[in-house]
Amino acid sequence: MREGPVIEVKNLVKRYGELAAVDAVSFEVERGEIFGLLGPNGAGKTTTIGVLSCLVKPTSGSAKVAGIDVTRDSLGARSRIGVVPQEIALYPTLSARDNMLFWGRMYGVAEAELAGRIDELLEVVQLAGRARDRIDTFSGGMKRRVNIAVGLLHRPEVLFLDEPTVGIDPQTRRSILELVKDLNDQGLTVLYTTHYLEEAEFLCDRIGIMDEGRMLAVGTKSELTALVGAESVITVRADGMDASLVNWLEPLEGVSDAALGDGDLTVSVTTGSNVLPPLVERLTSSGTSIHSIDVDVPNLEGVFLHLTGKSLRDEADEAPAEDPAGAKP
Amino acid sequence: MRIIRIALKDLSIRLRDRNTLLMMLFMPITLVAIIGFALGGVAGGGISTVEFLLVAPAEEEEHLFMENEGELLTGAAANLMSQIEMFDAEVATEEEARAAVGAGEKAGAILIPPGFLRAVFDTATVEVTVLRDPVSRIKAGIVQSLAERLATYASAGGVAGRGVFDAIEAERELTDSERWKLGGWMFQWMSERWREPAIGIESSDVEEDEINVYAYFMPAFAVLFLLFTTVASGKSIHEERESGTYERLMTAPVSRTTFIAGKLAGSYLLATVQILVLIGLGTLLFRIGWGTNPLAVVVMAVVTAAGASSLGLLVASFTRTARQTDSIGTAFVLVMSLLGGSMWPVEQAPPAFQSVARFTFNYWAHSGFKKLAFADAGLAGISQEIGIVLAMSAVFFALSVALLSRR
Ligand SMILES: Nc1ncnc2c1ncn2[C@@H]1O[C@H](COP(=O)(O)OP(=O)(O)O)[C@@H](O)[C@H]1O
Ligand SMILES: [Mg+2]
Repeated sequence: MREGPVIEVKNLVKRYGELAAVDAVSFEVERGEIFGLLGPNGAGKTTTIGVLSCLVKPTSGSAKVAGIDVTRDSLGARSRIGVVPQEIALYPTLSARDNMLFWGRMYGVAEAELAGRIDELLEVVQLAGRARDRIDTFSGGMKRRVNIAVGLLHRPEVLFLDEPTVGIDPQTRRSILELVKDLNDQGLTVLYTTHYLEEAEFLCDRIGIMDEGRMLAVGTKSELTALVGAESVITVRADGMDASLVNWLEPLEGVSDAALGDGDLTVSVTTGSNVLPPLVERLTSSGTSIHSIDVDVPNLEGVFLHLTGKSLRDEADEAPAEDPAGAKP
Repeated sequence: MRIIRIALKDLSIRLRDRNTLLMMLFMPITLVAIIGFALGGVAGGGISTVEFLLVAPAEEEEHLFMENEGELLTGAAANLMSQIEMFDAEVATEEEARAAVGAGEKAGAILIPPGFLRAVFDTATVEVTVLRDPVSRIKAGIVQSLAERLATYASAGGVAGRGVFDAIEAERELTDSERWKLGGWMFQWMSERWREPAIGIESSDVEEDEINVYAYFMPAFAVLFLLFTTVASGKSIHEERESGTYERLMTAPVSRTTFIAGKLAGSYLLATVQILVLIGLGTLLFRIGWGTNPLAVVVMAVVTAAGASSLGLLVASFTRTARQTDSIGTAFVLVMSLLGGSMWPVEQAPPAFQSVARFTFNYWAHSGFKKLAFADAGLAGISQEIGIVLAMSAVFFALSVALLSRR
C-alpha cells in the first residue's frame, strides 16, 4: 500500500443553488485511524461522504482517496472505498450469502476468492450460522452487520460509515460500535459520521467538527478540548474546610484558582494535572468528611458550544434508543 | 457481465415471490379458462351445441296456400337444422325468444316476418330478423349465418316456384284453384326435400380451430399479464432507489447504463419465461394449436417479451416512485389492453376504434399469435407483426433511456 493519507480533502465545495452544502472543507484521514465527522443534521456530512464515494459531483476543490482524485478516476477510487449506507441496502428476500455474492460480484471480487471472503466476513460479523437465511428474517442489528460486511467484501482501504446507529436500540448500537472498533484494530481505516458526541468520543482517533457546511475544527479529542481552554473544574463538598486549604492549594503546580464557598470548594486546574490525589489525601488526613467530589472535564459538547454558540444536543434532538425509524429496513 | 448478474439477481428475486408467480401464470390461465368456459370454448375438443329459436310470424294477413303455413315453415326449418348434430333449434313465439336470448339461454333467434312466403313467391324484398346474444358472440354469429343461408334457400325456392308458374302460364292461364293446388303441391314437395336436404350443410366453416376461444384469449391475456410483469420489473428500479441499493451500486464500479441495462435484461428474461410457459400451458390445458412452425411461435414470443419489457421500462421512466409506478402502471396496462384488444375482440369494434388499436403494442403482439393459431401463418406470415413490435421496443427503450438519464 502507498504511503500518505488515505483521504485528502482540500477546499471542497458543493453547492445546491444558493446553498453551500459543503463550504470549503479540508481534512485528511491517516491510514489506520478512525476519523469522525461530527455535526448536527444538515452540517454537510453526508454530502462530504457522497463526494468521496463518487455519488455527488463537487462544485470545486479536490477529494482524493488513496491518492486517486475521485473526479478524475471514479472507478479507481470506488474500488478502494467501502461504503455502508445509512439504510439497509440489501435485498430482503435473498439470503445473507446471496446478497454478499451479488454485491461481491458488483464490486468486482474475483470469483475464486469470493466464497472464502464471504465466509470470513460472516465470521467477523458473527452471522456465519445464518448465512442461508433470508435478510428479512434478521433482527435490525443483524441486518446492520450484514450491511457493514457487504462494504468490506472487496477489501477496501477505507470504510465509510454514514450515521450507522441512527434510530437503533442501545444494545445494537453498542455491538455496531464494537464491530467498528474491532475492524479498526485489524488495521482498517474508517471514516465515520455521527451527530452523537459519545460515539465520536468513544470511537474516533481524530474528529472534524462540522456545521452549516463548514469544517470548524479538526483534531484529537484533547486537541479539540484544548480549544475551549485547558481548564477542568474540581468541586468538593465537605464539612470543616477552611481558608488554609485555599492557601495550600494556590501555589500548587497546575492550579490556577481556588475558592471556598459555603461548604464547597472550587478549584480550577489545568486539564491533566495531578492535583486531585494530594487534595484528597490532605482532606482525609485532616479528618474532613467528604460528601462528594465532581470533576468537570471539558468535552466535545463544550467545544461545539464554544465554536458555534449552540448546543449539539439540542440539534441531535432524537435520542438514539427512542427513534424506531431506522430499526426497520 | 455485471448486466447479466443484475438481471439474474432480479430474476431470482421475482421467481421466489409467490405473488409474482400468481400474477404471472395463475391469473391469466384462470381468466382464460373462465372466459373460455363462459363463451363455450372447445372444451372436449368441439364446440358445444348452438341452441337457438325459430319464431313463426304471429299472424299472416293472407295465407298463400294453407292455414299455419308460417308454423309449418319454421317447424320444417327447425327440423332441418336439428338434423345437424351441432344445432339445437326449437320453435318459439317472439316474446319467448326475446326473453331467452336476452337471458343468454339461447345463442340467438331467427324471426320470420309475416308475409314471408308471399314475398318469397312474389320475389319481393323481405327482412328476416336475427336476435343475437351479445355474450356468446361466436354462437350468435353462427345463428346469423344460418339465417342468411335460410334466406338464400327461401328466395331460391321462390324464384324456382315463380318460374314454374310463369312457364305454365305461358301455355295457358291458370285458374285460382289450380294455382292454389299447384302452389300447395310445390310447397309440400320443397319441405319434404328440406327434410332430406340434397345439399348438406358443411360443418367445415365452424371447425374447431376457427372457433377456439382459448386460442383467441390465451395470447390476449398473456400479453396483458406480460405487461403487469414488466411494469413490476420497471417498478423495481424505483424500489432500488428507495431502499438504497441503487446508491450502493453507484458506489461500486457500476455505471448507470449498466444498471438500467441490467434491469431491462432481468425484466426481459422474466417476460420470456412467462410468455413461453403460458404458451406451453395453453397448449397443454386448452389444446391450442399454434400452427405447424414452432420456431415462428418462439420468435413471436421473444419479440413480444422484448416489447413488453421495454414498455415496462418506459412506464418506470415516467413515474417517480414505486407506488406511483404501481397505480399509474396498472391503469396504463389496462387502458392499453382495452384499446389493443387484450380483453375483448377488438375486431368487432368500429373501424375508427380499430385504427386506434393499431397504435398499441398489445394489438400487434396479439395479432401475431392469432395469425399463428388461426391461420398457421408461419414466420413469413407474421413478419409485419415482428417488425412492428421490434420497432416499438426500440422506440420505448430509447424514450425510457432518455427519460431515465435526465434524473
Ligand atoms: N441533493 C440535494 N439537493 C439540495 N440540497 C441538498 C441535497 N443534498 C443535501 N442538501 C442540503 O445540503 C445540506 C447538507 O446536507 P447533508 O450533507 O445531508 O447533511 P448531514 O448529512 O450532515 O445531515 C442540507 O441543508 C441539505 O438540505
Ligand atoms: Mg446525513
